[in-house]
Order: sequence, then structure tokens, then C-alpha cells
Amino acid sequence: MQKLFPILTTIFLLSFLLISNQSYAQKKYTVSGYVKDASSGESLFGANVYIKELLKGNSTNAYGFYSITLNEGSYTLVTTYLGFKTFEKSIELKSDLRINIEMETTAITGEEVTIIGERPEEKLKSTQMSKDEMEVESIKTLPAFLGEVDVLKTIQLLPGVQSAGEGNTGFYVRGGGPDQNLILLDEAVVYNASHLFGFFSVFNSDAIKNISLTKGGIPANYGGRLSSVLDITMKDGNSKSYHGTGGIGLISSRFTFEGPIVKEKSSFIISGRRTFVDLFMRKPFIKESNNAFGSSYYFYDLNAKLNYSLSHKDRLFLSGYFGRDVFKYTNQSNGFKAEIPWGNSTISLRWNHIFNDNIFLNTTLIYSDYQFELGFSQTEFDLRFISGIRDYSVKTDFTYFPNIKHTMKFGLQYIYHKFTPSTAEASSGDVDFDTGKTINQFAHETAVYVNDEYEINDKIKLSGGLRMSSFIQVGPFERFLRNDQNLITDTIVYSKGETVSDYFNVEPRIAASYSINTESSVKASFTRAFQYAHLASFSSISLPTDVWIPSSSIVKPQIGNQYAAGYFRDFMDHVFETSLELYYKTLKNQIEYKDGALPEDNVNDNADNNLTFGKGWSYGAELFVKKKYGALNGWIGYTLAYTKRQFDEVNNAEEFFARYDRRHDLSLVMSYQKPKSRWTFGLTWVYASGNGITVPISRYFVGGELLYEYGKRNDYRMDAYHRLDFSATIDSKNKDVRKFKSSWTFAVFNVYSRKNPYFIYFDDEGNLADGTLQLKAKQVSLFPILPSVTYNFKF
Amino acid sequence: MKHILNIIAFIICSMFIQSCETDITVDLPNPEQRIVVEGILEPGKLVSVFLSYNAAFFAPLDTNELLKYTVKNAIVIVNDGVKIDTMKEALPGIGYIYVSNGMIGTIGRTYNLTVIADGKTVTARTTIPPPIALDSVWFRLQEFTDTLGFAWGHLTDPDTLGNNYRWLARRIGKDKDFVAPIGSVFEDKFINGKSFDFGYNRGKSINSEAEDDKNEEEGFFKVGDTIIVKFCTMDREHFEFWRTAETQISNNGNFFGSPSTIKTNVKGGLGIWGAYSPTFDTIIATK
Repeated sequence: MQKLFPILTTIFLLSFLLISNQSYAQKKYTVSGYVKDASSGESLFGANVYIKELLKGNSTNAYGFYSITLNEGSYTLVTTYLGFKTFEKSIELKSDLRINIEMETTAITGEEVTIIGERPEEKLKSTQMSKDEMEVESIKTLPAFLGEVDVLKTIQLLPGVQSAGEGNTGFYVRGGGPDQNLILLDEAVVYNASHLFGFFSVFNSDAIKNISLTKGGIPANYGGRLSSVLDITMKDGNSKSYHGTGGIGLISSRFTFEGPIVKEKSSFIISGRRTFVDLFMRKPFIKESNNAFGSSYYFYDLNAKLNYSLSHKDRLFLSGYFGRDVFKYTNQSNGFKAEIPWGNSTISLRWNHIFNDNIFLNTTLIYSDYQFELGFSQTEFDLRFISGIRDYSVKTDFTYFPNIKHTMKFGLQYIYHKFTPSTAEASSGDVDFDTGKTINQFAHETAVYVNDEYEINDKIKLSGGLRMSSFIQVGPFERFLRNDQNLITDTIVYSKGETVSDYFNVEPRIAASYSINTESSVKASFTRAFQYAHLASFSSISLPTDVWIPSSSIVKPQIGNQYAAGYFRDFMDHVFETSLELYYKTLKNQIEYKDGALPEDNVNDNADNNLTFGKGWSYGAELFVKKKYGALNGWIGYTLAYTKRQFDEVNNAEEFFARYDRRHDLSLVMSYQKPKSRWTFGLTWVYASGNGITVPISRYFVGGELLYEYGKRNDYRMDAYHRLDFSATIDSKNKDVRKFKSSWTFAVFNVYSRKNPYFIYFDDEGNLADGTLQLKAKQVSLFPILPSVTYNFKF
Repeated sequence: MKHILNIIAFIICSMFIQSCETDITVDLPNPEQRIVVEGILEPGKLVSVFLSYNAAFFAPLDTNELLKYTVKNAIVIVNDGVKIDTMKEALPGIGYIYVSNGMIGTIGRTYNLTVIADGKTVTARTTIPPPIALDSVWFRLQEFTDTLGFAWGHLTDPDTLGNNYRWLARRIGKDKDFVAPIGSVFEDKFINGKSFDFGYNRGKSINSEAEDDKNEEEGFFKVGDTIIVKFCTMDREHFEFWRTAETQISNNGNFFGSPSTIKTNVKGGLGIWGAYSPTFDTIIATK
């Protein structure tokens, strides 16, 4: 850490010198404020605020704040945002002005959007590439699996993002593993964003305002994961009037209630969702004598948020998320019981402060907890596996707008981690087995960053950032050492606070954009990132048994370098947005379990003693065409990608395709709102090349058992996956905004009922004695055509 | 413990998903031919070995075909630290079984094997550990029945780490051979020095066509059975082989496990050159 301060101070000084050189002569003043939705008071993230005469400005930040510093004079301030009417106001800039803007909605399916004087090419000029933002409302028009609108499933429809498997909410971005995505909910990290072994995500779309996914060119204020940042912000809560939304579907029912506490000053939102299928698994529906009586499954999510504007410079937010899944199974005939609870809790407290109208500060305190338990009992034998992770964190982020050419960001982040990779308790009757003590791993993770986005001239914009991160594991901790019989012979004991391992890394982040004209641009970026928390997985499907483990003396931080370049072009006056991006990534210190490792190996041992390390690389091209406006809108995304790995201890040290390797990935998404009609239709068609799997290549007999010899890792490709989904929503007749509104959504998943391969396995059938013994390959498909009905309401 | 993941998979399928299974054709590459070793080493028994070859995965499996995969005319040498013996092919022309000339398994000795056949050479090594007997064995009825139950044993594990066990059972008059249930091997990592009860259900030999392996008696012992329990100790590599093999067997058909590689102690080949040190006990199953 000693190296940090001199370097950072030098950077600061240099940047300030550079910037202040430009601001001599005339007096400068700042116009700043918040951009909000006029009907609800919700702040708008990413609204374009600019000066008409100069065609320069910037976008509002996550809290809806903008700040433009200019020379004294008369200007016209314009604000645009998709789905809202353009706002224009003449201003006399003779002193610092605070102008809060309230935007009025307009249907995106309505009349043509006026483009005179507009600056929709903000996105084209921005140095940020490889980023997708989704409007939650438009997600709701798309067909949803079993009627559950799901944020994570929808982002899998974007190019460069691949689903981990049918029904799985794990996702891979540009060839990276599922643990390489930083998932943030109001700044708190969510470690396991799935319910029901991955079929649904934990995000209740009724409570969400913004979703953005950054796949490349990751700015310096984000760190800790290599492949992507999924930043999800919750709604603040309507500060003008009380409203409720909800629905009942096949799987769960939801209800959200929001409103002001003090009108226009503070508001709240509370949102809940729960499955109800477990109510049918009890008496009187299932009798006590039934073999499976006592089995049930339920999940719930609860999101709550409060916000309070203390003054025109200060705002406070308190958000929380609590979710849980509980799975119980009983088989009375053999005395077997299983209980598997897991869940996340996050709480964040944020304070926004504005200094001098051109420095915006956000400080957040965060608590995040993920716990997973696997409990089994068979007659007298009891076994429990517990794993989890708990973080306490402080973040402080400054955004400084010194003048219209620069936007500077800098800040600091500190996380105190407590990892419980796996703990087990086992007993048989009265005898407790020695499963060892719980070995927690404690660590301090720190990062400091600075980033400047500099508009050199009308055509060129540069963004340069530097992030410095460190990860220090401290005791109490015990490291088990093994002999060559693989038996534990010795332990090194670290006392509380003693350093076990430490890492310090520098992460440069550079991006540039060049505007060819108002319709097109080219961009390029370079991101170097380090990751200190890793998910080690036993199976090819993400399960709650996957454990998060920290970097240590054995596990080095993962390193990722990503080079990306792209060509961006808008057509038909920005109605169509298209892009072609190319990327190349190198990954180091990738993690796999050693061949033949089993979950019980981690008990009474360090979880990282069973791992092996290697490297990877991925490259690909992503083509994206999006129609943003009109009655018919949507997008097509196509990705051509390769991703490989090489581990010395796996696959005989030969290169192999990663399990995330999928050659082609195509998504077609369309939404049509019939003009002057109550109907809205949605359609998605997805196509993905088959996954690579490891298959057996020979068989042999030992001790009367038929055993398989497996071939090269991931060498065999399953058949391609493709599927069509369709949905139709009909709104209620009553169009009066104040009254109760409802709608029915009918959806069909997998319209042509394709038997998509979920899994291929090999098994024997028949009998050796009468010569009918045969080995067969079988393909398991999960979901045939599945219709669903959901009832939604709003008031 | 090992079949836990298998159970999760089964539970999910049966509770929520109407999964659909179809037979498919998979084009597999031709495998490299490897020698498969199955060692027979027990105290007091004549040291011998079964040698076969692996076969392409979908190759036919009837008993006539299997003769193609026996190893014939192999040179098999075993060294027990006291003398070196070249094994005899017990059935010339058929191959498969090779026996030593009077080398008897002795507790504490390490046996080094070398096999040369068809231009290939494989080597392996194993040790016969001292036996550890169960304190007692018995039959216990399951709760909901008055005829069916499991076989139980009481074990006191020695205080040193490194004991590995395997449980096998045979019913007199009903089983030709000893049968191991799933999860038959365990180590003393969690039970070191402890004295405790444990039970096993009745294992099933591969593709058994017996009635009682298909009806409600499947997996259970019955009142009236005479059960011989063969409780063995083994060395670390032998334990790892069966642990990974049983994981593979129980993972077949389970998508939550990854294809598990079986840990073989045969360098250059497959299978296990593994020694057992058994002790025998009898249970007469009564109510």
C-alpha cells in the first residue's frame, strides 16, 4: 500500500494541472441539478443533458444528477431521455444555477421522435463501449419463463452474454465464468442471484428501475470481477403519490407498494414476492401417510428502500434485500430427509452530497451476506454442509465536473470479507463425527481509483483511469499441509490479524472514441482487472453447492486483460442503433477442482487445497441491431465466440474448450404494441450452438463393475439449442390513470416444443447373463412447450 | 454421503420437471487400447491377477464378445520384497487369469507388479495392511416393516490416521459372491479414533435379474437371511480407486456430477492392483 499514495497523488496533481490550464480567462459558472420523472419523482439515470448552442453536455449519473460548467452567458438547456418528452429551457448563466428537471413521459410507441437539435448521438460519442442498458418496462413486454419476468434471463438475450443452460440464471459474458460477473443491487454485491437451483433470479422486476450490463471497457470505479458488471438500481419510491403493483403467476405472486413519506422530500418502496406451491404440499392436499409428506419448496424476496432529501445538497437512501429459498424433501419409506435452505441479505445506506454544484459525492455503507446449507438425515445419520460469505464494506465515490470537457471520477472502496468455504457437521445417533472446526477466511479488500473522461475536440474523446487494488488475507486461519499420501500431517496456525497472504495490483482502464460523423463512430478500450473472490464448482451446472473462496497463498488473484474495438452506426435518424464489436481476452490464474475431487474433500481441510490453476483466452465478434422507437421494436444480437482453457493438471495439460464455449449465439427479440389497442405482443427466438461436454470413450470391467474411461475434456458437442417464445398481454379497458388497472399475460415457452439437450448421459441397460447388456447414450431435455398465465395489476 | 448429489437430481426431476429422455446416437472417437488390471491379494491367498483390455464404448457386450478383450500371453512379474515371481497363464488360449507360483499374500508386504503384453507395459504397487475387525454385527428391522432391514456393524477406528475400509456382504444361498453396496468404501478422516455404529443396505450386483433386486425387497436384507460380512482394510490408492469408481457409478445419469475420472494405481493402464485385508462375521437375521 505504500506505493499507492505517491502514485495517486502524482496522478491527481497532473490531472488538475491539465484541467485548470484550460480554465483561465472568463468566469465560469455551473448549472446543475437532478432530472426526475414528473409523475413519480424517480430520478432518471443516463438522461442526456446538454447545451443546445454548443451541443455539449453529459449524462445524469445513477442518482439523476448532472453538472455542466461553462463560461458566463445565455444558453438553452436541453434534456432528452427515451420514453420522455424533450425538455428545453433558456438559461442566463451569471451565477451558479440549480435547475431540477421534471420530465414528462411519452409513449415510445407513439409518434415519430423529433430530432431537430437533439443529441441522441451522445451514446455514439461516449467512450463507453460494450455496455447495454435495459429499460425495465420494456423487459416486461417480453415472454417470460412460466410467467416470471426475469432480469437475468433477459440479459442473456444480449450478444456476448450466454446462458449457463436451460433454466439457469448463471450467465457467461465473453467466455468468462459465472463468478466473473459483478452483480450489484443498489451497490451491494449479490453472491448468488438465483432461486430454485438457477431457474429464477432473485430480482423482482417490480422494484427495479435500471439495469446496465458492461461487458468490456469497464471503468475504473468498478473492480473485483473480470468479465462484466451488472449494475441494478432499485426504484426510489414514488415521492408524489401512493401506488401499488402486483401480480399472480403460476410460480409466485408479487406485490409492491410505494409512496411518499413527506411529499417530494422522502419516499419508500417495499416489494415482495413469494411462491405459493408449498401451500399445496400440506394437509389437506397431501396426507400425512404419503411417502413424501413433509416435502416442500418455497422462495421469497423482499426489497425495501427508503430515501430522504435532507436538503438540496444532501440525500440519504437506505435499501435492503432479503431473500431465501427453502427446499425440503422427505422419503418416509427409507427414513431419508433433506433440507436445503439458502439466501442472500443485503443492506446499503447511502449518502449523496453536492459540493460547489460540480462535485458529487456518494458514500455508501454496505452489509452483504450469503448463506447456504445442505442438510441430510438418513435414519440416525445426520450431515450438514454450510458455506457462505459475509461482507462489510464502505465506498466513497466522487464525480467532479470541472468544465465541459472533463468528467473526473475518483474514490475509495474497502471491504472486510468473511468467507466460510465449507463447514460440515455429521453425527450418527449420539456420536458426533470429527468434521473439524469451521475454517473461516478473513480478508481486507481495498481499492482506490481515478478516472478522467476528456473530450479533446468534437470528434475525439478519451477516458483514462487507474485502479489500484489490494487483497490481504488475515488470521485467525489454519493452513493444512499434506504429505504425498495426501494425508494431512501438519498445520500452520495464524493468529488474529496476522497476515496470511497479500496482493497489490494496478489495473489500468483506457478507452477512446472517435466520431466519424453524427451517425457513426469507432471505439476501442483496454481493461486490466483482478479478481479476488472465486467460485469453485464441482459440476457443470451452477448449484448452491458452489462455494466462494478468497485468494490466498495458494489461490492467486485471477487476472484478465480485455482488448475491445467496435464500430457503431445509427440509421434512420437514430431509430436503429447498430454495432459490431470485437474482443480478445486473456485470463490467468483460472480455477478448477482437481480431477476426482469431491465435496467432502473440503471438509476438515482448506477448500483451496483441492484446486488446480490454469489460463484461458477468449475472442469473438458481436453484432447488434436495435430498433428503439415505434410500435414494433426490439433487437437482434449475434455472437461468434471461442473460449479455451489450459491447465497443467487437467486434460493431460492439453488445451481444451471451456464449458462456456459456444460457437454461435443468436437472439431475436421483438415487441409490438398494436396502436390504439389493448394488446401487446412479445416474441423471442434464441439459437445457441451446442455446449462441449466430456464423454466416455471406452469401457472395462473391474470387480464385476462396468466402468468408463472418459475422453478429452469438453471434446464432444451437444446438438444446438433453439427455442421460440411468445407472449400476448391484454390491458384492462379502464384507461384512467388514477384508477385500478390490470392486465392478463398469456405466454408460451418453447412454442414448437423442441427437445433441447440439457444434458447427455451414458448408462447401461439390460443384463450380461442373457446377452442383452447394452450401453446407451441418452439425452435429457427439460422443458417442452409450457404455457403460462399471469395476472398483473397497478393502482 | 456420495450419492447425495444423485439424490438432489432425482428430487428435482421428480418434483418439478417433466423431463424428457430420448436415446441418441453419439459418435465417439476410437479409444487407445489399455491394459486393465484387477489384482487379487489377500492374506493367506495365492497372489493372482485378472488382465483384460478396455473396449470401445459402444462395442457389443455379450459374453462371446468379452473373450476378445482378455489379455493373452502376457508376461506378469510380481515382486513382494522377498522374491520375484513370474505368473503363469492359468487358462492358456483364453488368457485373463494369471496366478503366481506359490506366492501367498502376507500382511505388511508391498507387492510390485509389472505386466508386459502386446508391446505395452504397465506397473503398479500395493500393500496389504493389517486387518481391523468389527466389534459386532447385527441385523436391524426398518421402522415400517417386520421382515426387512439393514445390516449393521460397530467399529472402533484406531487412533492413527490412514485407515481405509470396505464393506461387502453375501447372503448364503442367495448370493454367489460378495456384493458391495454404493458407498461401501470409507476413510477415517472424520471418524478417526471413534467407536460408532453404522449400517448398510443390501448392494446389488451389476444387472442382477434376481426377483428380490426388483421388487420391494430391493436394497433390504430379510428375516431368515444368513449374511456373511466381509469387512476389509485397504491402502490409500485402493481406497481412492473404489471411491472414485463408486462416485462414477452413482453419477451415471446424474447431471449434477461432473464426469469423474477413476483414480487408478496402474501406471500406463486402468483398473486396480489392490490388496484387501478382510475379516469375516456372520449375521443371522431375526426379528
